[in-house]
Amino acid sequence: MSTTDNNSSTAWLGSDRRRLIIQEYGIFLAFLLLAFILSVSNQYFLTPGNISNVLLQTSINGILAIGMTFVILTRGIDLSVGSVVALAGIVSASFATTSATAGIVGAPYSPFVALPIGLFVGIACGAIVGIIVSRFSVPAFVATLGMLSAARGMTLIYGGGKPVPALTPDFRWIGTGSVFGVPMPVVLFAVVFLVSWYVLNRTRFGRYIYAVGGNPHAANTSGINVSRLRFSVYVISGGLSGLAGMILSARTGSALPQAGIAYELDAIAAVVIGGTSLSGGVGRITGTLIGALIIGVMNNGLDLMGIQSYYQQVLKGALIVGAVMLDQKRNMGG
Amino acid sequence: MKKLLIALAAATALMASPGLAQDKLKIGAAPYGLNAEFMQIWSAALEQHPAVKSGEVELTVFDGRYDALVQQEQFNTMITQQFDAIVFVPIDVEAGATAVQAAYEAGIPVVGSNTRVNSDLLAAYVGSDDTVSGYMEAKTVLDKIGCKGNVVILEGPIGQSSQISRLEGNQKALAECPDVKVLEQQTANWSRAEAQTLMENWLTAHPGQINGVIGQNDEMALGAIEAIKAAKLNVGDFAIAGIDGITDALNAVKEGTMTSILQDARAQAQGALDLAIFHARKGDYKPQSDIWAQYPDMPFNDGKDKNYNVPWTPVTTDNADKLIESRQ
Repeated sequence: MSTTDNNSSTAWLGSDRRRLIIQEYGIFLAFLLLAFILSVSNQYFLTPGNISNVLLQTSINGILAIGMTFVILTRGIDLSVGSVVALAGIVSASFATTSATAGIVGAPYSPFVALPIGLFVGIACGAIVGIIVSRFSVPAFVATLGMLSAARGMTLIYGGGKPVPALTPDFRWIGTGSVFGVPMPVVLFAVVFLVSWYVLNRTRFGRYIYAVGGNPHAANTSGINVSRLRFSVYVISGGLSGLAGMILSARTGSALPQAGIAYELDAIAAVVIGGTSLSGGVGRITGTLIGALIIGVMNNGLDLMGIQSYYQQVLKGALIVGAVMLDQKRNMGG
Repeated sequence: MKKLLIALAAATALMASPGLAQDKLKIGAAPYGLNAEFMQIWSAALEQHPAVKSGEVELTVFDGRYDALVQQEQFNTMITQQFDAIVFVPIDVEAGATAVQAAYEAGIPVVGSNTRVNSDLLAAYVGSDDTVSGYMEAKTVLDKIGCKGNVVILEGPIGQSSQISRLEGNQKALAECPDVKVLEQQTANWSRAEAQTLMENWLTAHPGQINGVIGQNDEMALGAIEAIKAAKLNVGDFAIAGIDGITDALNAVKEGTMTSILQDARAQAQGALDLAIFHARKGDYKPQSDIWAQYPDMPFNDGKDKNYNVPWTPVTTDNADKLIESRQ
């Protein structure tokens, strides 16, 4: 249907935008279809309680996936998020525990101390990766693979391999509290989403991210500080991983050194299912939101129907590959 | 002159070392991984063994990093370095057998601890029978709900020996209560976060119907408790059980929210080390750990037995404090 548009000389940008819209709606339709099937096959799926559950269960992966979207848009990748989740979770928890042995001297501190510290740990990890990628031109895959291992090791060193239990109710509020009936993790997820949407769609920084991902050379020639921009996306991803790590330990009530293992894979999956291209420059944060929701809804729905989690993994795999195949076909077919 | 001195020093060192090696045993411990609390307590207990503290045994702990191949390579290292004995906690029942075989052929005795390996070449095995704990924990849940109602089971990674045995025990207890229905039964891979998500979804799928939660380990039982709390339900309305006696669970037992059964990592570790020394010394050794006095039901029996069954201890409000104290 868009062939005529493509052939006319003025429509290049228009068709590209339309393709993106189709892409977004395509994934949105897939999401609605999945939700429809689940609501027909299970009476509890559409209850307010369950919808709240799905959003709650999606929040952590969703926050990580949003950070990942920034990184992937610049042609990068962040494999370290799961380990940073664990490190930020355990460091902040050590400031918020009532346990005499697991905490830092003087603990428990108020969440106004513990939370910024966790955020700082995430940002610091992101900044280290960012410097390695942007200043030393190490491929993102390698730099973040290094951080995946190093941050996990630091987590085990920091806590002596032990969990940090007995977190204060004040700290746990970010995981278990609610605002007007909406669980706090969902509130935080929503805030992160809205801010990211604004940044990517309404600011110069956001436009630069697309420009750098689309064509780094052209971006550089046109005066964008590509190196600084690359640095900042890893800081964003690191900071959001820190946030996710604290939400996770607040939810489980104890920061575990094994937390967050393989979380990077679900975050990348959400981004890819949401239609963001791994070759950079193309993608929408709303796509990532839907991608994360699809994973969350699928896991929840299959649990409700009592289907073994092994099938969930197979389905998720098929979904990831299917989403990219559709994307390729659409790009080729124009 | 200087060269001569170095040569002399080297020669004395060479001559001295075989003499030393006869007194001092080199024993390697190969636990499957050190990331979780249980194995940390286990390896800390080895370091606390009287023979290690007195310097009679030089102990090296290898972190298996949850990988059967890594463990096999560590065995090769120990064989080349001519260790006198190995204490082995395999990640996998089948894959561990090759490693045991290699050590056996090199004449190094291997003593199993905690997890089983499908090999008859082990010098001895010190562990706890998981079918017993599976039965005990399910029984506490069923007793509390009066042998009627509905339960859910949170399983370990399907196919792991402790998951298989604990489930066997769970089912044995369930068979005694034919009126109890198992509403859901799925793996949460020993993980608290995964169990929490599963339980949230189960509470939605079966509103007001779940009476009991059988968690095959403490982590998963604790995840279920968090899910119940998050759903604004009363934890006291559920019978919840776990296994292992990790610190968080001890605290939960004190609060009365769950029951747990202690798997004695210390006894498994120190018992296995005593047997490893016994076999390395070819029987010329008396056990030094106090665990043999602690468990009269598990006598050392002059090291003749192949299987040593460390009894399970239900965690109660009475012994929880003492256990928490012993870990600090």
